[in-house]
Amino acid sequence: MTEILIKARNVQKSFGTHHVLKGIDLDITKGEVLAIIGPSGSGKSTFLRCMNFLEEYDHGEIWFGTELVGYRKAANGSLVKDKASRIAAIRTRMGMVFQNFNLFPHMSVLENVIEGPTVVQRRDRAEVIAQAKVLLDRVGLAAKVDDYPETLSGGQQQRAAIARALAMNPELMLFDEPTSALDPELVGEVLDVMRSLAADGMTMAVVTHEMGFAREVADRVMMMDDGNRVEIDTPERIFTNPSHPRTAEFLQRVLR
Amino acid sequence: MDYTWHFQIVWDYRAVFVRGAIMTAQITFWATLIGLTLGLALGLMRRSEFFLLRAPAATFIELFRSTPALVQLVWIYYSLPILTGLQLSNTTSVSIGLGLHAAAYFAEIFRAGVNSISKGQWDAARAIGMSYSKAMRRIILPQAVRRMIPPFINEFASLIKLTTLGSALAVYELLHEANNLINNTYRPLEVYTVLALAFAVIIYPIIYASQRLEQRWQLRQ
Repeated sequence: MTEILIKARNVQKSFGTHHVLKGIDLDITKGEVLAIIGPSGSGKSTFLRCMNFLEEYDHGEIWFGTELVGYRKAANGSLVKDKASRIAAIRTRMGMVFQNFNLFPHMSVLENVIEGPTVVQRRDRAEVIAQAKVLLDRVGLAAKVDDYPETLSGGQQQRAAIARALAMNPELMLFDEPTSALDPELVGEVLDVMRSLAADGMTMAVVTHEMGFAREVADRVMMMDDGNRVEIDTPERIFTNPSHPRTAEFLQRVLR
Repeated sequence: MDYTWHFQIVWDYRAVFVRGAIMTAQITFWATLIGLTLGLALGLMRRSEFFLLRAPAATFIELFRSTPALVQLVWIYYSLPILTGLQLSNTTSVSIGLGLHAAAYFAEIFRAGVNSISKGQWDAARAIGMSYSKAMRRIILPQAVRRMIPPFINEFASLIKLTTLGSALAVYELLHEANNLINNTYRPLEVYTVLALAFAVIIYPIIYASQRLEQRWQLRQ
């Protein structure tokens, strides 16, 4: 039986009067690569950020394995916000990669990567450093371990950020438009790293504008528009025969 | 102008200046200590999501920023004992008064420094499971402190100058010592000139250092 890692039900979110998520349902199974596409402002980044509670959804439920993300059920059955420590504990089990990398500028590449494992997970420092070096080698940054983020290109920074997330040994990786802030010639090197992660069986949710990547690497593609899940299907069907006119229209605009 | 300067008199009374300078240094020390500790707490409180922490901090900061330091000092020295029966010595009043005054400004420097760190740094810290205090300590403050140091040094320099307000409460800091000296020597021109120069010699290097630091860190960013 396939194990469901993320189970989202009727997830809703408003910023003031602006209803950005209007009830999203989604299952992500273990080992699956899910691409989330849609026009800007469709709520896809907000939804992704709800999965590790960087954004607090205000209706519905998101389950990560057996744990409800961000809330706990009170005695009367209503949802109340969970303790900060439990929310933090869930976050350590998911890695997140941001559009603007968000490396810690006062730390070297290696220090960035070992910060979470040593300070948050309190794992053995020597073991963490050894693992970090393997990871940095894997993302092609073996020569940059002692460099500071400001001296790296955007593509290198993003690869370091991926290594930082992987060092936590996450069960799920969240990518929030990981290549959108990159110069076009640097996009490939980041996508290559993500491709190899996917090949290794990592469970991934990727908000992206890279349709080529979504089509090649994703197991399923979710199309969002205006806070709704328009459809979710295999890349073949989404890209060749979408069932919803909104998807066809969006793809026509981005793929020409 | 055919005034004949007699700086020799000031030199003869140099011990008076040294005494005043020590008192000025002591007041500055205590005021800075109070200002930094309380300022850090107030700055943190003002950023809090809890109204009960935020509101008193904001009230304190705005109250002290919108009233003159001299008024604060005379209030603490003359009005506080009437209201509470707590009579502080003039030196203590000035140290505490200026400490509270500086706290309001340090709090704002602290808050501005923390706010200047991008939201993405908080996101990244939280995403690896850091608590608020861990993120603050390990990620936000190390970056923010660097941005806070130049304005902090400026505030420190202005605090040294504010110690002269102590003369209004007859605290024997530099200005008050100088005034007494003038009563004995009838040489205000020399005494005040030396006094002004003494402050300039102490404070200008501090301001210069702050400017240099700012430039250097701007280049590196």
